[in-house]
Amino acid sequence: MEPEAQEAAAAMERYCRGEPAAFHQLYALLAPRILAYLHGLLGDRAAAEDALQLTFLKVHEARATYLRGANPIPWIYTIAHRTSLDEIRKRKRSRVRLSPHGTPGAPDTEPTAHITGVAADQHPDPADRQDASNAAAGALAALAELPESQRQALLLTKVHGRSIAEAALITGSTPGAIKQRAHRAYVTLRRLLGKGDVDAGAGADAGAGATKVAPTRKELA
Amino acid sequence: MTARRDGGDERALANATRLGAPPPALSPELARAVQGMGPVRTRHRFGAVAAVALAGLVWPVIALVHLPHRRDLGALPMAWVIVAAVLWATAFTASLTAALVPRRGDVLPAAGRAARIAVAAMLIVAAFALFASVDAPGVSMHPEERGWSPLRACLHCIGFVFQTAAVFLVAGLVAMRRLIPVGGARAGLALGAGAGAMGGLVLHFICPFASTAHVVLGHVGGMALTAVAGALLAAALIRR
Repeated sequence: MEPEAQEAAAAMERYCRGEPAAFHQLYALLAPRILAYLHGLLGDRAAAEDALQLTFLKVHEARATYLRGANPIPWIYTIAHRTSLDEIRKRKRSRVRLSPHGTPGAPDTEPTAHITGVAADQHPDPADRQDASNAAAGALAALAELPESQRQALLLTKVHGRSIAEAALITGSTPGAIKQRAHRAYVTLRRLLGKGDVDAGAGADAGAGATKVAPTRKELA
Repeated sequence: MTARRDGGDERALANATRLGAPPPALSPELARAVQGMGPVRTRHRFGAVAAVALAGLVWPVIALVHLPHRRDLGALPMAWVIVAAVLWATAFTASLTAALVPRRGDVLPAAGRAARIAVAAMLIVAAFALFASVDAPGVSMHPEERGWSPLRACLHCIGFVFQTAAVFLVAGLVAMRRLIPVGGARAGLALGAGAGAMGGLVLHFICPFASTAHVVLGHVGGMALTAVAGALLAAALIRR
């Protein structure tokens, strides 16, 4: 097990023994990436924050179903995934969704964060800041265009550094389906971002050889 | 070159989803729940499958002890009887375990893997029934001897498979409702296949009809139908 998974498992064990501090440790460790995953799926920061709270509430209610010694990270991602699916279904049932600015379906326009965790509009280099902001806005818009299952596979394998097997577990799918969806998502995303000359081989190994861009704890701190 | 551009896309996605941005403070509801919590007893890896198997095996044991065994049992090759029983029992164990037992180091059973195992188990049992069914001429019974049509005999056995599978399905769905947040249909398919395989195993000893068509349609078909029922019920019932 990776050191981070070991740390999460140790915190989870203490949490199940009834130590509130262990829950806060687990939250500090996992909430940033779960929030990012939910944001990627829902495309809306406020909804993602609500879903994050709901996810951890479900984790709290289901903590007796945890297996001591197991890696809790994919499990918590799975609960977040389920929560986001419920939110998406709820949205589909309501015909019009207003953004915080009152326009139907407009994406939120909060400032984006740099990969280091520094808010993009506070990044030292203004040119970098502008580039990052434009690229992020474009990526988010392109992400929203992807079918739901492809978006999940791409986010989990390419952005969150989950293995193909873990992504299959989280989404309740098969490794083959995840590979295929991640590849298709990758090709579509590059087309939408105006980089149509995609090297098919580069996306085919999505996840298996994916560059992990999930931040380390040091970066998060 | 491509790799560099790939990294750029991933970073743009990470930025877009604000990977690394600080999370919000706990909601009052969550903070209250955490503050007032006590220790909990966590589950055992094989706890769910043991509970489901214990509950579900009551009826098959009663059936095997109290219902009359097939009259051709003594006339069939003993090796074939044993191999067929082992196949049905393996299909039961493998499917039920895949549906309810997580791999070591995981918290949740893998639904996709469970479905693959269940389908493979069904195909193996079906192939065995199709190509290796054995009867004892003059001893094995035909539906006509009871005044039944072949269809009626098949429906009778399918009904028995569902009867045997019912407790497994109910107990398994209750366990899965607690355990499996996603992939419920796939896990339900494995649960239903396992439950149906137990029906097939009991029928192997008590069903008097030995023809290939009957075993494939009535016994393996029953298993397939309970698998479908498990998938549909799990898809409808499992939400978290």
